[in-house]
Order: sequence, then C-alpha cells, then structure tokens
Amino acid sequence: MTSLTSKQSARAPAAALLVLSLCVSGCPTGSSPPTVASDMVTIVFKHGKISGDPRSLQDLLHQFEARHPNIRVRSEPLPSSTDQQHQIYAINLEGGASGMDVLAMDVIWIAEFARAGWIHPLDNLFEPGQRAEFFPNTLEAATYQEKIWAVPWYIDAGVLYYRKDLLKKYGRRPPPTWEELVETVRIVLGGEQEPRLYGFIWQGRQYEGLICNALEFIRSNGGDVLRPDGWTELTSPDTVEAVAFMRDLIHRHAVSPPLVTMADEETSRHLFAGGRALFTRNWPYAWTLFEQEGSPVRGKVGVGPLPGFGNRAGVSTLGGWHLGIAHDSRQPGAAWKLIEFLTSPEAQKMMARKAGIAPTRAGVYRDPEVVAAQPFLPALQPILASARPRPVTPFYPMVSQILQSEFSAVLAGLRSPRAALVAAERELLHTLLLERL
Amino acid sequence: MTARHGHDIMARLLLALVLAWTLSPILWQVTTSLKPDSELMQLPPLLPAHPTLAHYRALFEHQPFHRIILNSFGIAALTALAALVLGALAAFPLARLPMRGKFPILGLVLGTTMFPAILTVGPLFIFMRALGLRDTWWAVLISHTTFALPLTIWVLTNFLRELPEDLYRAARVDGCSPWQAFTRILLPLCRPGLTAAGVLAFLFSWTEFLYAFTFTATEASRTVPVAIVLFPGLHEIRWGEIAAASVVVTLPVIVLVLFFHRHIVQGLTAGALKG
Amino acid sequence: MNRQSETLTGYLLLFPALFILTLLALCPILILFWLSMRYRVLPFGIDLFAGADHYVVLLQAPRFWNSLGVTLYFAALSVALEVLLGLSIALLLSRRFRGAGWARALILLPWAIPTVVTAKLWDWIYQPDLGVLNYLLQNLGITTAPVNWLGTPSLAIHAAIIADVWKTTPFVVILLLAGLALVPRDLYQAAALDGASSWQSFVHVTLPLLRPILLVVTLFRTIDALRAFDLLYVLTGGGPADATETLSLYAYKILFQTMQFGYGSAIGVMLFLVVAMVSLLQLWLGRQDMRRLVGRTP
Repeated sequence: MTSLTSKQSARAPAAALLVLSLCVSGCPTGSSPPTVASDMVTIVFKHGKISGDPRSLQDLLHQFEARHPNIRVRSEPLPSSTDQQHQIYAINLEGGASGMDVLAMDVIWIAEFARAGWIHPLDNLFEPGQRAEFFPNTLEAATYQEKIWAVPWYIDAGVLYYRKDLLKKYGRRPPPTWEELVETVRIVLGGEQEPRLYGFIWQGRQYEGLICNALEFIRSNGGDVLRPDGWTELTSPDTVEAVAFMRDLIHRHAVSPPLVTMADEETSRHLFAGGRALFTRNWPYAWTLFEQEGSPVRGKVGVGPLPGFGNRAGVSTLGGWHLGIAHDSRQPGAAWKLIEFLTSPEAQKMMARKAGIAPTRAGVYRDPEVVAAQPFLPALQPILASARPRPVTPFYPMVSQILQSEFSAVLAGLRSPRAALVAAERELLHTLLLERL
Repeated sequence: MTARHGHDIMARLLLALVLAWTLSPILWQVTTSLKPDSELMQLPPLLPAHPTLAHYRALFEHQPFHRIILNSFGIAALTALAALVLGALAAFPLARLPMRGKFPILGLVLGTTMFPAILTVGPLFIFMRALGLRDTWWAVLISHTTFALPLTIWVLTNFLRELPEDLYRAARVDGCSPWQAFTRILLPLCRPGLTAAGVLAFLFSWTEFLYAFTFTATEASRTVPVAIVLFPGLHEIRWGEIAAASVVVTLPVIVLVLFFHRHIVQGLTAGALKG
Repeated sequence: MNRQSETLTGYLLLFPALFILTLLALCPILILFWLSMRYRVLPFGIDLFAGADHYVVLLQAPRFWNSLGVTLYFAALSVALEVLLGLSIALLLSRRFRGAGWARALILLPWAIPTVVTAKLWDWIYQPDLGVLNYLLQNLGITTAPVNWLGTPSLAIHAAIIADVWKTTPFVVILLLAGLALVPRDLYQAAALDGASSWQSFVHVTLPLLRPILLVVTLFRTIDALRAFDLLYVLTGGGPADATETLSLYAYKILFQTMQFGYGSAIGVMLFLVVAMVSLLQLWLGRQDMRRLVGRTP
C-alpha cells in the first residue's frame, strides 16, 4: 500500500499540472472559431435530425457552401428527444454566449424564444412579398406581438393512414367521422379474427405528441384548449366529451390497444408498417417509409384527413420546424443567407423529392418533378394548409407540461376527464395570468 | 460437523448468488457492447457470435467522445484537488484546534451533504448566469467542489482525530506554529485519509449528473454522464453504442475501486462509527 | 497567547471552506425559499411578488400529490429492501473465507458506477422485446408474453426500485460490515456457551450493537432515496403517466423545461420540508442510539 500511495502522490502533482495546462489551452469559451481568411466566416447551424435520409441535408449544406465560398457551415445536431432539445436551447441561450447562429425550432417554441429575446425579429429581412408564398398557418405560428420571428422550413400535420386493401375487402370507406372509424374497426377486426391486428394506433404516450393527438380529437368536436383571447375552453362540454372519447377508444370500445399509452411516432409507424394496424394517425414522413422497398404494407396504404365528430370536419394539428437567427449571433448576415437558401423553392423541392419532407411554400406542391416523385404530397396540401397550430403563447412549455400530465392520467384511467381538465385549467390559469404582464 | 459443513456450502452458494446478482448486469452490458447490430435485434444469441469493436469505434466517430472523457477527467481531477486542499485546511482546526462552535460547524458540514441537489441547482443557475460564466467548465467545477467539500472535510477530520494527540502537542512544545505542526507533522501521516478523500471526491465528480447536465453548454464541454444521456439519434436508440459508452465510463471507476477499495471503505465508514 | 494564536489560525483555515459552503450551498437554499414566493420566469424577465400563490395552486394540483406519494413510496420500499438485503449480505461477507477481500471489492462496484450508466444498463435489461429479463422469464416459462416493465404504470416504479436497490445496497453492506467487525467475538462465544442458536445470537447480540449504525445507514439512505433524480430521469423520465415522477423530477421539469423558477422553487421547498420532516422523525425514533453515537465525539 505504501508504495502505491507514494507513487500516487508523486504522480498526482504532475497529473494536476497536465490537466491544468490542457484545461487552460482547451477551455471552451463558446465563441465561434476565429476567421481563417480575410472574410471567411463560419456559422453554426443547430438542428434536430431530419427524418428520412440525412444526406439530403448534408447535400444542401454543401450546395450552400459552394454558392457562398466565404461561408462555412458547421452543422450541430441536437439530442433526440424534443424535451432535451428544448432544454439545450433554453440553457444555452439563457446562460450567455450561445455560440449559435441559425437555429431550427419546433413550431411550438417560437413565441417563447421571441418573448425571451433569444432570436432576432425578422420583419425587415423577411419581406411581406416573400411571406405570401408560405402557408398562412405556418406564419401564424411564427408571429408574436405582430412581428415575425422565424421562417417556416418544413411543415407537418396529423393525417390518417389506412389499409385500403382491408377497407376494400369489407366494403368500407375511409371514415369521415370518429364514430364511423369505431364501427369500421369493429367490422374489419371481427371479420379478420387476427389477434395481432390492432384497430387504431395513435400517440398516447406522455410527451408532446400526446398534445397533438388530443387536440385533434378535441378540436374536431368543437372544443379547444386555449382561445386566442386568452381564456380556456378546457372544461367546455365538447372538450370533456372528446377527451372521454380518447379514453374510451382504449378502455371501452377496445379499438386501440393499451400499448397506445406508450406509443410515440416511431412505435406507431413500426406497428402499421408491419401490417399490425388498420388505422394509424401519424405525420406525413411515414408515407415514404410505408412505401419503400421491402415494406410489408407497400401499395396497401391510403392517406387522408382525420375524422371529425358528427358533421364536423376533422382538424389536424400543425407541426413542423422553422429557422431563426440567434440573438447573439456574430454573423447575422451570413445566417440569414443560409435561412434564405434552406427555405428557397429549390431547397424545399429537393427535400420534398428526396425525403418526402413537406414544404412550407404552396407553390412547390405544383412542381411537376415533386408531383412525380412524391404523388401523395399534392393530395396532402389541403390538409397541411388547414392544420391548426397549438396555442401560440410564450408559456407553451408550461401549458404542455400541464396538459401532458392530465391527459396521460385520463388515458391511464387514474382521473376522470372532467376532474383532469378542471385541474389542468386551474394550473393553466395560474400560469397564464403572467401573460398579461 | 456436517451441520457446519452444510452451513459452509449454503454460505458459498449464497455468496455466489450475491456476486451473480451484483455482476451480471455489468457483464451483460459488456456483452452487449461487443455484439454487432444484427445480433442486438434478436435475443437467442446471449453471447456475441461475432464479437466486434464496431460500437466502440462508432462511439468516437459520432461525437467527440475523447474530448468528453477529457472534460470529465479534468473536472474530476480539479474537483478532487480543490476539495482536498480546502477540506484539509478546514479539517485541521475542526480536529485539533481549540475553538468554539466546532460541533455546530461539523453538523452544518454534514448537513450540506444531505441537500437534494435539485434544491440548489435553480438558484445556482441564476447565480452562474449573473456571473456570465461563459466557460461552463467553471460552473460545473465550482458546484462539484462545493458538494465534494463536506465529504472531504468529514473524512479528513475523522482521520486527523485518529492521530495521537501527543504528536501535535509535542510539535507545539518544540516550537512549531500550529500551521507548521499541521503541514510538517500531521498531514504527512494522513496519506491514507487524503487518498480516501481524494478518491471519493473524484468519484463523486466523475459520476455526477445533475449539475453537469444543467450547466453544460456545448458538446465540447460536456461530461461523460451527460453525453450518455444526450446521445444523438433521431428515433432509433443505438443500444450498442450506449453499452460501449457505459463500459468506457465504468472502466476507470472499476480500476479506482479495485485499487483503492480499502481507502474508500475507510473513508466512508470513518465517521459513522467510533472506536 | 498560544491558545489565542491557535484559535485565530483555526478560524483562518476554516474560513475558505465555510465561505464556499455558505455562499454556494446555504445561500441557494435561502434563495430557493425566496423564489418560491415570487413569479419568476427567467427568460422573460418577470420577477414579481407572489406570496403564497404558488403553494395554493400546488397543494390543489393532483400532480403534486401524486409526486409526493411516488417520492415517499419509492424511498420507503427502496430503503427497506436495501437495508434487509444489505444486512444479509454483510452477515454473509463477515465470515472469514478465502477471497473475502476480492468479494468485498467486487460488491462495491455497482455503487461506484455512475447512476446514469446504471439507468441505461437496466433500461436495456427491461426492454420489452430486446431485453434479457423478458427473454429469461419467457424461456423459464414464468411469463408467456413480453412484459412492458417501464411502460406499465404499476410496474415501472418497482422496476426502478429494483435498479436503485442494485446500485445502492453495496453502500449499506460496507457500512454494516464495518459495524459487524466491531462486535466483540467473545459475546458470540458467550452466547453459544449459553446455548443460543445462531438466530438468537443474531437477535440478542448482533442487532442491539448494530442499532446505532443501522440508524445512521437508514437515515443516509432515506435522504438519498427521497432526493433521487439521476436514476428516474434517465430510466423513465417520470413516466408512464407520472407513475415514477418524484418531487425532484417534477421540480426539475418545471424549472428547466418551462423556466418557471417561482413555481418550480415551491416544489423544491416542499421536497426540502419532506426531507427535513422524515429526517427529524428518524432521528427522534432513534434518539437513544443517536445519543450514544454523538456522546462518543470529543
């Protein structure tokens, strides 16, 4: 033991010195690396991983660098879960020098980032003439206090996928109402007698996706969570009824299996792609994966709008990502150039063709090459254009936390819909009273 | 005799069970890290048919993992150093010098080890933000040192107390100032205590997650526990790489534990029992 | 003169450590209480007096009561299992046999591994389709279908407890081993001469002498379990349906995902109160043992 400790105590100071010197030389300071050539700039582009082929984004960035030889783009991916992404952004942007230039933001974060002063308003850069080419609902989500804060990059909306082969077999059509969906599931499952075939798979896990799904049920019944004037509709009969229906899908009608309460987009996609479900709700990205080579459901999938209740139309929740400029970016000019490029018609066309990512410019849907490569996209256009954003408030993260918890409790059978929504409303009002400040 | 023999066999069996319970999750993770992706997707092969180091390679390719390890190591080493220095300085008066209020101070020190980290992380975040700590190594280092300090104080105070009183008295009689008595006589005798406290502080910092997670900015300044949690990936989880990362992180820990096992035990048990 | 210089030196040497602890450990607690009475949304620069508003809403929120229950349940079950298991293992290891040193070193490993690694380790074991636990259970015929350990509210908390027990039992073991080593051998011999069975000598000789250290261990472990964060954050994230959301996790989510530092701090204060009350209760229950322990301090 003594020999060990004396060796160790001799090495310790040396090790400490080594570490100290490494520390001093290599301590990260969060600033962008120094410019190499006289006007060579590097901008940091932070984004989540894009679903589909990651090379499409890399190719786009290379193209941009080719066109702007004095700009280098450092692409930094974010961690996988949106909660962690949000936390990284919040801690970095709030903590001081963020070292970021272009940020890809989930559509639900824009109001918060705007109010926090983490991003630049883009009114003078993003002209009204250009804006007209984008879907209005995406602009709505990017507008806070009458200024525009981000440029819509790509759009998402909830859609209903169905097995057209099974529907045809039983003479059923894609259901325009939730009631008819339940009925169709009963008929098909009863006929098929296949225990591994589920009726309707959706995202009921306790995460942001649950809010998207829940809003689709709620709004298609005429209810809502937050009205634009700031008051809540959480406890209106329509809302309560819709939430009860979500729970009943699992516990009463047995249309959705209990695993739905653990399902996110990928779980749902895997199940449907393996032929294990009749209906599923998901985002448009799943289509190309269902139709790829070797997929068991290739050629058997139809996609359309979500159902509504009674004679109401279905309502999709708007998703998608926008691009903004960090408030402490040292190269806002270069950052804007990258944003312009990534949201240009050609870039959006390329992403649409190669990865099936839905563009935010309406015009791209009419492009013949896009139509040829991804014929389902033009069919989706009306759904995308009419999708409704989640409540646009800087306090959205808190709203989401509260609702996720309560909706989840309803689905798990721990609280009645009414009790959960009353509790959610109380907490929401407590948070939102700060909005008036 | 046969009862005794039976007892022994029982005891050995139980011991084997306990060791199996303790070690098999770790061994399973090692096995996982060596299995190629194709074998990970189904379970009949328990042991890798075609062991591969691909996950370890991928680990270092997909992110600057060597940088991350360096961050962890640097912060842990500096934490241990700082906690040892400040802890030793504080332990000496608490163990040997006549002062009032020793007991409450020790109680306070012990009390801080019981703080849930979640309580201080919010205010500390505001504090770090106000200081404009651009360099997040400092934020993590400061918070780690703060919470490793009570541990080192506790361990060193107990070790110093174990040393015979006469040593200090004799040194004073010989004309040493308290400081000289401390640095020349007592401290050198305290090597096991210093080792114990140093290893414990290092382990604390190496494995700490909450502060490192909250005060971490870029990938470049991340520590290993944080990197394991923030693994990049869209929807699919790369179990093989996570297993490889786990093994890489655990190796230094295993080395430390096996080498300094006695010290660790002494350090942890020192204050809990007397006599 | 001598004494004065000693005292002065003492205070000087003590000062740096005390300064750091006061500034970075104590003050934040006071700030926590302060924040809990304010509306403080960090990024928006909102900072207003709230009084007891946060507490009023918190105490009516089902999510708060759920997390309180989860916190207490997790701690109670974890600590009970750890102490029982730890005591058994310590008794086993306290016998003299070849390789005892190695066994004791190996036993310590789970404790030293970073908690987040433990969480990932068990996450992998608990996977419904690819995890080895379901594989073993199905192959041994104990279950017929894959069990969703981390996805079923009633199972998830217990799965987490098992992972926690695996990780922290070693700590209990080494402390109890040290305590067992202090029990004089002659007492056992005397008991054996009196005709006591091993169980009787355990109950009447070992246990009473072990009580003070059992108290210390239980106290430490309870506080640790009440404040557990890393394991649950990584293993379950608080889900499913908040079934594993302890007060620590709840507070963290509110603080760093919504940046509501006022409301989040109120949750923190509640955790502080829970830890304080449980600690005081345990100290009071074991006050005689405490006196014996403390009395030995010079």
